[in-house]
Amino acid sequence: MIHSPESPSKPTMNKREWIILLALVSPFAFGFQRSAAPAVNGNVMAKVVQAANAFLATLSATEQAKCTFGFTSSQRTGWSNLPTGIFQRNGLRLGDMKPQQREAALMLVAAVLSRGGYQKVTDIMNGDEVLKNAGGGRTGGRPSEGIRFGLDEYYMALLGTPSTTTPWMIQFGGHHLAINVTIAGESSVMTPSLPAAQPAKYTLNGQTVRPLGRENDKGFALIGALNAAQLKKAVLNYVVTDLVLGPGNDGKVIQPEGILASELDASQQAMLLDIAHEWVGILNDEAANAKMAEIKANLPKTYFAWSGATKNGSLAYYRIQGPTLIIEYAPQFGDLDHIHTIYRDPTNDYGAKLVRK
Amino acid sequence: MNTLFAGICLWLAMVSSAAAHRLDEYLQATCLSIDLARVDVEIDLTPGISMASNVFGWIDTNRDGEISQVEGEAYARAMLRSTVLKADGSPMPMTLEESSFPTLREMSLGVGTIRLRATAAIPAALPGRHQISFRNMHHPESSVYMVNVLVPENRRLQFGEQRRDVAQLGLTLDYTVTGDAPKDRTLTLALLGFAMAGCLSLRLAISRREKAKRPV
Repeated sequence: MIHSPESPSKPTMNKREWIILLALVSPFAFGFQRSAAPAVNGNVMAKVVQAANAFLATLSATEQAKCTFGFTSSQRTGWSNLPTGIFQRNGLRLGDMKPQQREAALMLVAAVLSRGGYQKVTDIMNGDEVLKNAGGGRTGGRPSEGIRFGLDEYYMALLGTPSTTTPWMIQFGGHHLAINVTIAGESSVMTPSLPAAQPAKYTLNGQTVRPLGRENDKGFALIGALNAAQLKKAVLNYVVTDLVLGPGNDGKVIQPEGILASELDASQQAMLLDIAHEWVGILNDEAANAKMAEIKANLPKTYFAWSGATKNGSLAYYRIQGPTLIIEYAPQFGDLDHIHTIYRDPTNDYGAKLVRK
Repeated sequence: MNTLFAGICLWLAMVSSAAAHRLDEYLQATCLSIDLARVDVEIDLTPGISMASNVFGWIDTNRDGEISQVEGEAYARAMLRSTVLKADGSPMPMTLEESSFPTLREMSLGVGTIRLRATAAIPAALPGRHQISFRNMHHPESSVYMVNVLVPENRRLQFGEQRRDVAQLGLTLDYTVTGDAPKDRTLTLALLGFAMAGCLSLRLAISRREKAKRPV
């Protein structure tokens, strides 16, 4: 087993990691509850601004300077799925925060996301802690050369000033996670974002966790629901081993392929929308509902493409692409235990449309 | 606490070792951007961890541990020579416009990407049906490929079917060039509406003036 420099020699969590884990669950454990129903009266963003200011208030001037950036700075596109040591993120590292600061940072993440979205983020982060304790994955037999995994290695950055009127942005990410939320007034968008998972399945406190399990199962359920003629259109005749529009591919729109949603029946269309909601619904309910309405309106122009076997448990890639949506689900190079996904809106990445208003 | 510790140990024990990054494959991802008289080609080459020293060795021909500009460009041109771009069945030479190379360390971690940007002038497409094809035969023994085409910016281009082989070494795209850019129907209708309203107003104005001139 290869350990990164900070990995413990025994597979146990130290006190600091326990504190971080507690902070991760604290928004729910200590009564911070997000409404499951769609937010009304436009008060969601006011609470997000409040949470952002509460977080900033826990920071020293030096820490604030490290954590905040201009709204139009290059930090906006400076995100990655790669671990620390390969990609150096800017912002404030969870592992460098005091418990109160960490809790406030995670409260902010919880405030801007839905309850399910926050759970997904937590599952991805816990998965990276598992990866860390498992040795950080193989690196071709070479030493891991300073690559660091785990809960400490997630970063918070705020771009612009938290406000209910002028645009600003929350960036939270680390290995296998990039959450980019642009906020303008009462609107918020979460494109581009990259939720990923390695391992794709692990056991925590006796419970099996699959951070992207629903994305996998719902994809297979839809492809399994297509008839022969539909399959012929949906299934690509070639292998896709990675994301086509992963990090560094901002602004690109590839020619869509697969089956048009207008050629699916109502039940299949509902399944397609349900898959999309796995990504869209990471963001707070109010914004997610608005986005889902837009995706539904564009459904006749939306494609579903599949590459790989169609039996759940097999290796398969899929893509959903419409006028305002690109989702890719890509197991990495034949590894079912290592999934990358990307969620983009070619018309509104980084809130381009919101900022123009 | 002991139960919790046992739970964590069990959780850790159940995690199998997994590859964090690609290992023994050379990922070659190509993106084509097509216009009436040119094709821009972006090729991103990412060697897996086990491939890194080999690939670095192909480029660093003087074995000094660094990729010089001359070495980089020589590799980039050789790489382009192992690809074929055809417009309506005729091979089109590509010109290397830009190349960048990662460090050996980045390559060794499986995240170092070589980026090549090339362009090809193609005969200006006349209205009608056309075809672009691209094939990459660079180190097929150890590579995985992706090839895609971007949505055209030029509205005179209407893309049809894309055909690839199973390994994505090649892509063939059929497309149509229209005589004029498709008009925006909403804009056209609005302009037509304004024109008609203008004519009507003018006609009414003339008619009122004529009435006023008539002797009572």
